[in-house]
Amino acid sequence: MLKPKSWRTGRYIAGNYLFILPFLAFFLAFTAIPIVQAVFMSLFDWPMLGKKRNFIGLQNFIKLMDDGIWWQALRNTLFFAAMTAGGLTAFSLFVSLQLNKRGKGRNLYRFLFYIPVVLSVAAMGIVIGWSFSTQYGLVNALLGTIGIPQINWLGEKELVIPTLAIATLWWGFGGPMLIYLAGLQGIPKQLYEAAEIDGASQFTTTRKITLPLMAPSIFFVLVTQVIAHIQVFGQSYLITGGGPGRESYTSIFYLYQTAWRYYRMGYGSSIAISLAVIILVLTLFQFVVNRRRNEVEY
Amino acid sequence: MNKVLAVLLACLIGGTVGLSGQADASKPIVTEAGSATAKTKLVFWNGLTGSDGVTLDGIVKKFTAANPDVSVRVEKMVWGTYFDKLLTSLVSGSGAPDLFLLHEFEIPQFASQGVLYETSEFFKPKGELDKADYEPEYVKALLYNGKTYGVPLDRHGWGVIVNKDLFKKAGIDPAKAPKNQKEFIDLAIKLTLDKNGKHPNEAGFDDKNVAQWGTFTSWSKPNFLSTLWQYGGNWTDGKGKATLDTPEAHKALQFWVDLIYKYKVSAKPAGFDGWQNLANQKLAFIPEGCWIYNFLTDNKVNYGVWEYPQLGDKKPAVWTSGHVMYMPATASGANLAATKKLISYLAQNTATWATAGMPAANLKVRNALKASEVPVAVAYGTSFKRQGQFDIAHVSISEIIDKGYAPELDNALNGLKTVDQALKDANKAVQEILDRS
Repeated sequence: MLKPKSWRTGRYIAGNYLFILPFLAFFLAFTAIPIVQAVFMSLFDWPMLGKKRNFIGLQNFIKLMDDGIWWQALRNTLFFAAMTAGGLTAFSLFVSLQLNKRGKGRNLYRFLFYIPVVLSVAAMGIVIGWSFSTQYGLVNALLGTIGIPQINWLGEKELVIPTLAIATLWWGFGGPMLIYLAGLQGIPKQLYEAAEIDGASQFTTTRKITLPLMAPSIFFVLVTQVIAHIQVFGQSYLITGGGPGRESYTSIFYLYQTAWRYYRMGYGSSIAISLAVIILVLTLFQFVVNRRRNEVEY
Repeated sequence: MNKVLAVLLACLIGGTVGLSGQADASKPIVTEAGSATAKTKLVFWNGLTGSDGVTLDGIVKKFTAANPDVSVRVEKMVWGTYFDKLLTSLVSGSGAPDLFLLHEFEIPQFASQGVLYETSEFFKPKGELDKADYEPEYVKALLYNGKTYGVPLDRHGWGVIVNKDLFKKAGIDPAKAPKNQKEFIDLAIKLTLDKNGKHPNEAGFDDKNVAQWGTFTSWSKPNFLSTLWQYGGNWTDGKGKATLDTPEAHKALQFWVDLIYKYKVSAKPAGFDGWQNLANQKLAFIPEGCWIYNFLTDNKVNYGVWEYPQLGDKKPAVWTSGHVMYMPATASGANLAATKKLISYLAQNTATWATAGMPAANLKVRNALKASEVPVAVAYGTSFKRQGQFDIAHVSISEIIDKGYAPELDNALNGLKTVDQALKDANKAVQEILDRS
């Protein structure tokens, strides 16, 4: 006797869910539930150690809008993210274009350029701190050999965020580089052959063929890098401690201080939610801009 | 392709090779003391990641040698990681260490939440320790709502370390400490030199190329508080009002800012490593904590010690603090008994701890220390008896310091804000925290 169709369909679907169950369990435990919990906590005055938690509605968010440190941290964060995401998107593309050319040791270079990505932020932070040290750093020592006086890379208001961005660029360009290399290898060779027959220069080929066809990869890298670097924490925490003054305070650094140093989980959650909203808006904006660009016929 | 890539590669390899040997700062340094087969196994957390931690390990090892039924796993981690881990473990109620260190000013922050074990039983008449062996203000600092929390290990704090070589080179007696602000500044001017050998009070002094600094503003919190107290001020009136926008606070901070921008005898703090400059013969004297002692001996610095000078005009004062030993409120059973034994042992063996530069909390032990053996602990300890002061403890003390006023001191000292603006902002931030808590 045949089983009812709905039962068979249900069993079929249940089987599918079984496959995604491990991911789903982790996603629920470590992403979905904490997000809901954070939204819930942001509505409370929630001292981490305390037993008493008062519901205060949107008071945390209202207070945040009037919090000068939050705005300063956000400004620093956006400046850092713009420099780092922009720099990484362009620089790793440049390196990928070089690595995509035929040449000796190409695979070795690819391997070596990827290495820094696997280093922890703690290790990166320590050496960057030393390298950019004003008096004893490698960078100033090298610049000194050509007569450039000591630069206070991590101690000057104007320099501290760009220095952290440069450090991050060096540390992180291997990841986007891999994405670009995959994209570059997907471009049909006959397009380049046709361009060569037509006498197109290398610059023209890159501009007219490579870059337009790489647009989806570039967009992907840009979006993911913006999202990643708005969440910058380790660099300011380990290298500058947020200083000088609060010139390298970032949003996540402030969130960390608020929630884990001062034990104000409610206010910390409101910082997290606000930052999440900002990331969402920026990402949507990037998608809208990209869609408009795609509407232009090539 | 290869030329471009080779240049990039050189930059990359340089950094990566440097990084390869680096340990993850967030991981604890673990020392196992005692036998792995010991019946009772204790865990002791602290933030003493320098050579002072090694000294403490030595005392713990002596304890386990004398008590073979107990083993101690000492986990040392940087203070930031330490507080994260400690808090999480205390809140969750599991995984908390049997013993941990805090500073005395942090007691209300933790005791107010009921996560600390009450320790009056360690003191007479129930216990072996006598409160009369500690300074009355220290005993008072252990109290929260009339109950005693913690057992003191040391009383550390602030003083001045002198590079004797640079003094001798300048023909100045390093043993003669300045007695007031004017003498402090005059001395710093005499010991500051640009690359042409000129002092800041001489025409043509090149402040962009200073070869040797007279002094340094160092860690701003203890410097500022010590000076502020000497002027008769404080960061709060103790009744819920922030008092950082006051004439006393202005005078205190202005003094340190003037050393940089008016007298040009100190570098800006951001990007300047006071300890390394002292060791590298580029800094003559530095206000510093007694925990610098092992650094001085490790780096063979020919050093001298001064008591913190009188920079304000009202009273002698210098910032001090204390490492205090604690157990979680949930401690029980055999581990509780063994931890009590360990705490008593540590409290009674602080003479060894003084070899890391830390003056003993116990006055009998501190008075018996010999300057020939532990010069920094003796000099600092003597100063603390005369002018030592504890900071005001508060349930939100970390936030008051780290968010409220320390970044503003940093702003003023780095020339990012005027003294007036920095103190106004600090006062506003501290008041907001006081109002909330």
